[in-house]
Amino acid sequence: MPKKITINPITRLEGHGKIEIFLNDQGQVEDAFWQVTELRGFERFCLGRPAEEMTRIVPNICGVCPSAHHMAATKALDALYGVEPTPTAKLIRQLEFNAFYVEDHYIHFFFLAAPDFVVGPDADPSERNILGVLGKVGMEIGSKVIEVRKRNREIIKLIFSKAPHPEGGLPGGVPRAITEEERKWIKATTDYSVEFAQLALQIFKDLVLGNKAYLDMILSDAYSLKTYYMSLVDENNKVTFYDGKVRVIDPNGNEYALFDPKDYIEHIGEWVEPWTYIKLNFLRKLGWKGLVEGDETSLYRVAPLARLNVADGMATPLAQKEYEQMFDTLGGKPAHHTLAMHWARLICALQAAEHNQIIANDPLLTSKDIRNMNLKLQKVGVGCVEAPRGTLFHHYETDDRGILTKVNLIVATQNNAAPICLSVKKAAQEFIKGTEVREGLLNRVEMAFRAYDPCLSCATHALPGRIPLSVNIRDKEGKVLKTISRL
Amino acid sequence: MEKYNPKLVCFSCKFGWGYLTEEPALASKINSWIPVVCSGKIDTSHILKAFRAGADGVLILGCSEGHCHYQDGNVQTKKKVFLLQKVLETFGIEPQRVEIRFSLDPEGKSMPHLLNKMKENLIKLGPVKRL
Amino acid sequence: MANKPKVAIYWLGACAGCDEAIVDLNEAILQVVETVEIVLWPLAMDFKYDRIEAMGDEEITLSILTGSVRNSDHEEMARLLRKKSKLVLAFGACACFGGTAGLANFKTREDIFNWVYRDAPTVVNPETKFPQTETRINGKILTLPEFYDHVYTLNQIIDVDFYLPGCPPPPDLIANAVNAVVSGDLPPKGSTLAPRSALCDTCSRNKKKPSRMEIRQIKRIHEVEADPDSCFLAQGIICLGPATRSGCGETCIKTNIPCRGCFGPPPGVVGAGPKYLSALTSLIKAETDEDIREIIDSIDDPAGYFYRFTEPTSILGRKMPGKQMEE
Repeated sequence: MPKKITINPITRLEGHGKIEIFLNDQGQVEDAFWQVTELRGFERFCLGRPAEEMTRIVPNICGVCPSAHHMAATKALDALYGVEPTPTAKLIRQLEFNAFYVEDHYIHFFFLAAPDFVVGPDADPSERNILGVLGKVGMEIGSKVIEVRKRNREIIKLIFSKAPHPEGGLPGGVPRAITEEERKWIKATTDYSVEFAQLALQIFKDLVLGNKAYLDMILSDAYSLKTYYMSLVDENNKVTFYDGKVRVIDPNGNEYALFDPKDYIEHIGEWVEPWTYIKLNFLRKLGWKGLVEGDETSLYRVAPLARLNVADGMATPLAQKEYEQMFDTLGGKPAHHTLAMHWARLICALQAAEHNQIIANDPLLTSKDIRNMNLKLQKVGVGCVEAPRGTLFHHYETDDRGILTKVNLIVATQNNAAPICLSVKKAAQEFIKGTEVREGLLNRVEMAFRAYDPCLSCATHALPGRIPLSVNIRDKEGKVLKTISRL
Repeated sequence: MEKYNPKLVCFSCKFGWGYLTEEPALASKINSWIPVVCSGKIDTSHILKAFRAGADGVLILGCSEGHCHYQDGNVQTKKKVFLLQKVLETFGIEPQRVEIRFSLDPEGKSMPHLLNKMKENLIKLGPVKRL
Repeated sequence: MANKPKVAIYWLGACAGCDEAIVDLNEAILQVVETVEIVLWPLAMDFKYDRIEAMGDEEITLSILTGSVRNSDHEEMARLLRKKSKLVLAFGACACFGGTAGLANFKTREDIFNWVYRDAPTVVNPETKFPQTETRINGKILTLPEFYDHVYTLNQIIDVDFYLPGCPPPPDLIANAVNAVVSGDLPPKGSTLAPRSALCDTCSRNKKKPSRMEIRQIKRIHEVEADPDSCFLAQGIICLGPATRSGCGETCIKTNIPCRGCFGPPPGVVGAGPKYLSALTSLIKAETDEDIREIIDSIDDPAGYFYRFTEPTSILGRKMPGKQMEE
């Protein structure tokens, strides 16, 4: 008898969603769907608002990665007003953005992901959380996790008001300068962060790579997906976060495209399916080929592993060493192992920390020259950053007064939406056999999307965002035989 | 079909409008008439509440410029009304649905006429679409 | 474990910024977890809905609900948690007033859908498909929750005991709120767990405010290099301070950007929008009708400023709310 399993809601991610798994008569997974169940409308309700208010509105798209939206908006305003920020303004923005990378990547790794590896995928769900992680790694490390997050969020707060929802980026600059007094504690924070970033990688190597079962899981086919990859790269094709060109590689690692972010419309298409509120991105020139992987796909992935696959290396020395070690272990580039996202994430956090150490020592950081007031309204502006969850585009158009007439957003998680559907299906096919499913196996299905660190409020910025995850087990007629839901 | 009869709320200043006429007599000619001690006492929320309660338009009658008993209550309200008209547009309510006039009419003779004129404009607009 | 008060933390139409704000309690969060038992927190924990459904009525001491109510899922969960909880705290600007996403009430669902799924320049949708509440694929049925054509505040859907505003609420007020619940030292039902004064009263720039303020020209924030110590309004820059409750810690003001009103109106004010409109116009200095018009016309999108976080509480909201938040 054919069945269906529903996981609703999915947990340890940002937002609301569910997974539907359909079984055939033999109890094998015939199909699985990862559905995003919400939408918000930012692109429309921002119309008629003054463009400069976007740096105060779009951070509310997401409380986890507000800094990414804030920075993309700020850069879109630079373009809209045809203005180059002053060197000091650029430094201050990057200091904030890197601090955000550090705290954001660690909240994902320690709070959302580590429970699966440190506490274990089969652990009691009531233990499988940050408290369980702290129990395993001990309070000495635990307090460092809290400390590194707290201190980096203090930097965000100093520069742009608040950590959830930084605000106030201005075209051509930043609203406030940094003093020498503040530089002192900023420097201390960046030193602390570099040290912590190395510790985090050591913890990963000891607890995850050091455990053969976990390493096998990372390398297993169930958690592998062959797609194109997209990321920003700097002028040397190294990993970059704040600014750069968009590079795309094919599933075999060859450069497929290198383009200026303002040309994103030529390269990115958004496909609509009636069963999910999220749009499914693909490489427009290849055409929509459906939810398939391999050489025939037109799907691409973004986020940490994509960044490392796309770039020729890291921009900082310590991160570069880790990069080399990672690809040695994974068997070369590009690596298609979805769970290696976690490893790549920790390497990206290290680069952000190292870069901030350099910025904190830059004499220009405390200059008072924080605004370029030479604004010339262009009426169109595209801003792009490499957000922690992938490449993010904000495209604004205005009238003669700088009032918004058109807003289009391509959000990081949206780039990964179709691959997440595929990863979930592959994991389901591997782990689900019949309807009597252990909770730990369902958790392994969730681990497939969790690796992407999806942010569903973002992804459905288009209406109010949320992704509860539930899994329904249904028969062929769609009758729900069993619902396993979690919050 | 029943003819559309717009509902109009009228606020007027007691110092400038109809104070020589018996209130009940004038009120019988003006539905939803609210005499106030100064047009400056009319708060933005009063106007919004009128719309919320089903009004199709709001007419505010204040003293002529320079003759406010409380210095400049009338001008203060005029500024509010001008800005409120812009806000109402965002809510889908046409700015013409709020009108403010400054004059002096102790007997209130012109009031029914002013109301009728505004009603004619409201009939052209039809009922409020968004509420 | 059994004697600890049970607490649920749940997001409705939210962005998770409120959840992050709770994590921002840092070390204190560990103490909180010592004193309470968290029974639901999707961001961080793997507890399931069925666990809540199996609980007795009012078994949960406190439900902390974030976000506005925008779809059928939100409404169901809000009602379920209300039933299972002794106290419900509306946490953050969205739950209290609708929040930024409440600006969507200025647009229709149709307008949003048409852009997002049909007209945006990156969309490739040859068959003009839109998301459906039910889709059949080879006999398999997939469902999505129904979107309402309106964003609601929490108290328009369920009974709310306490309010904690802010986008997001600051850590000190969160800690106070949790302590109040744990110790049982609670203010009257309906209270907002934040100071009662207006932001201007506590603003550090208040000292430098001219005794008689007059605005002759409105300036937009990107057009000027705002003085970091002077009152924004005195500089002609729109700042929502006069119609906003204090308690946020003035972090925006400190980074030299004006207030946008995420704490909602001060006590006793129904609707921040009209209150602010009156306050602003009283400062505008102009003699003739033309001058008044000129200044007012230079205020682009006043509704977008005055209702930035509070549209769903507005007197003019398209759908009649069940009741207005009083304080």
